[in-house]
Amino acid sequence: MGGFLLRKAGAALVVVFLSSVLVFVGVRALPGDPAIALAGENHDPAVLAAVRQEYGLDKPLPVQYVKWVWRALHGNLGLDDRQLPVAHTIVSRIPISLELALLSVLVGMVIGITAGVIAAVRRGKPSDHAATTLALVGLSVPHFWLGLLAIIVFAVDLHWLPSGGYVSFGSDPIGNLEHMVMPALVLGTGLSAVLMRQMRSSMLTSLGADYVRTARAKGLSERSVVGKHAFRNSLITVTTVVGLQLGQLISGVVITEVIFVIPGFGRLTIDAITARDYTLIQGVVLVTATGYVVVNLLVDVVYSLLNPRIRVS
Amino acid sequence: MSFVEVAPIVTPRARRRKILRRRFLRRPLAVVGLLVALGFIVAAAFAPWVAPYSASATDFNNILSHASGKHLLGTDELGRDVLSRIIWGARASIEAGVLSTLLAMVVAVPVGLIAGYFRGWPDTVIARLTDVLLAFPFLILAVGLSAIFGSSLTSATFALGIASAPALIRIARGEALALREEDYVRAAVANGAGDLRIIARHVLPNMTSTLIVQATVLIPTAIIGEAVLSFLGLGVQPPTPSWGVMLSDAQSYLTQAPRLAIYPGLAIFFCSLSFNLLGDGLRDILDPRTTR
Repeated sequence: MGGFLLRKAGAALVVVFLSSVLVFVGVRALPGDPAIALAGENHDPAVLAAVRQEYGLDKPLPVQYVKWVWRALHGNLGLDDRQLPVAHTIVSRIPISLELALLSVLVGMVIGITAGVIAAVRRGKPSDHAATTLALVGLSVPHFWLGLLAIIVFAVDLHWLPSGGYVSFGSDPIGNLEHMVMPALVLGTGLSAVLMRQMRSSMLTSLGADYVRTARAKGLSERSVVGKHAFRNSLITVTTVVGLQLGQLISGVVITEVIFVIPGFGRLTIDAITARDYTLIQGVVLVTATGYVVVNLLVDVVYSLLNPRIRVS
Repeated sequence: MSFVEVAPIVTPRARRRKILRRRFLRRPLAVVGLLVALGFIVAAAFAPWVAPYSASATDFNNILSHASGKHLLGTDELGRDVLSRIIWGARASIEAGVLSTLLAMVVAVPVGLIAGYFRGWPDTVIARLTDVLLAFPFLILAVGLSAIFGSSLTSATFALGIASAPALIRIARGEALALREEDYVRAAVANGAGDLRIIARHVLPNMTSTLIVQATVLIPTAIIGEAVLSFLGLGVQPPTPSWGVMLSDAQSYLTQAPRLAIYPGLAIFFCSLSFNLLGDGLRDILDPRTTR
């Protein structure tokens, strides 16, 4: 187990390192001269030269890269265009996006697992067809459109929920949840559609397995057969799916935050890219990639804990 | 004189195609998907003839109007016919969706093949690089690449294609890895066949069904991706119509004319649904376990 973890962690480290190089090169590939962006209105060559020297832009690229990585490892991601520390902005925004992501995963799991189990148990019946069709719809619908529709119905027409914005949980828990309900539901439906299909498929396989036949032959009630045996083994599928859908989840968080005007990490990314704020972009994309790799590693660990066969490979 | 009846010679490939066609026609959802997808493609290709108005014909006396005889879906905030803009918008979506997937395939299949078939250090390098690209969520990659390439339909297509490639490389690599262990490949090697011949005759043809299914999954993702990029202002630039741009514009008029947000979204939804249904059907009929 330890060796497996070490190898995975090592591979993850290599990926993070290479991603940082990619981010660094990628930002440098953005059109425009960072010195001009930093100097503001003043295009005097002497001023530009001074700006370049101050920010180390005149040094060779590998040197710039090393300095950046060194500072990043010490938690210093530089200052953005408004002279605010990037690391601080990122740290303040992450909890908001995390809350949205976690709520969405919760919603997705509740809806997806329930629907998948029902569809598997009532295979071929109308409830199965209905659930499968709904899942297909959930897969094809563009989620940012679903968000707009939700705003139209629940905020504009019915005035039940606010159309956007954010209130912190600490200051107003009810308000916080009110603002999060629609975004979490919208994001959760995507995950629930994928989960429902996988859950149904793996439950159908489990329910046909020998150990389930044995349980039924032993006289166990249908509920305990379904609940304990088949369900527990489908948890592995759920973990795999959630792991695979993480990328989609992050993309979904980004676009949902834009639509519902939530001041989270996702919106920060888009704002940074549209504003061509190079330092901010570098910091944000680096954190995104690193976070993604780390979470994938965690999912791998959980998966290997659930499925002992994987540890040996 | 007796006639000798000679059975028509049917090649195995033709027979398989006939079986697949019959299986496909037995699945109404897949057929519907195919027809609707074709409908969007035709609308996109023949937009100048199908759309009643041009996409930028404004009519300031008639803004935000409801559905009428003259404008079947009403007009937007500049008096432009919504139905025409949706038809013209299909161009951006189909072009971005189909071309970016094609680009991803053209790049990913050879790379994945090389990695999976030849193994060794090309495989290690390719696998690591793919892992790095996969460390970035699809949208972040697409948005970042769009920012680098500039904002236009072409750059959005490129960005989406490159963002879709890493996952496809992994799949192609997996297929090649599995196929090279097949008995008929080993037989060909034993017979002295060169690598190129083996790849061309044995490996690549057996990958096509998986690749086709993957393409039908990638296209709707790319269609939605183009809509997102245009929505964020990073893809198609106005006045070129795109469903994403229409949705973005509609945000300012949610109270007065919510239908402006509903129609483009429905278009995106049906377009991507049709390709998804088609893909589901193809995956079903190409599955070796299917009997009908």
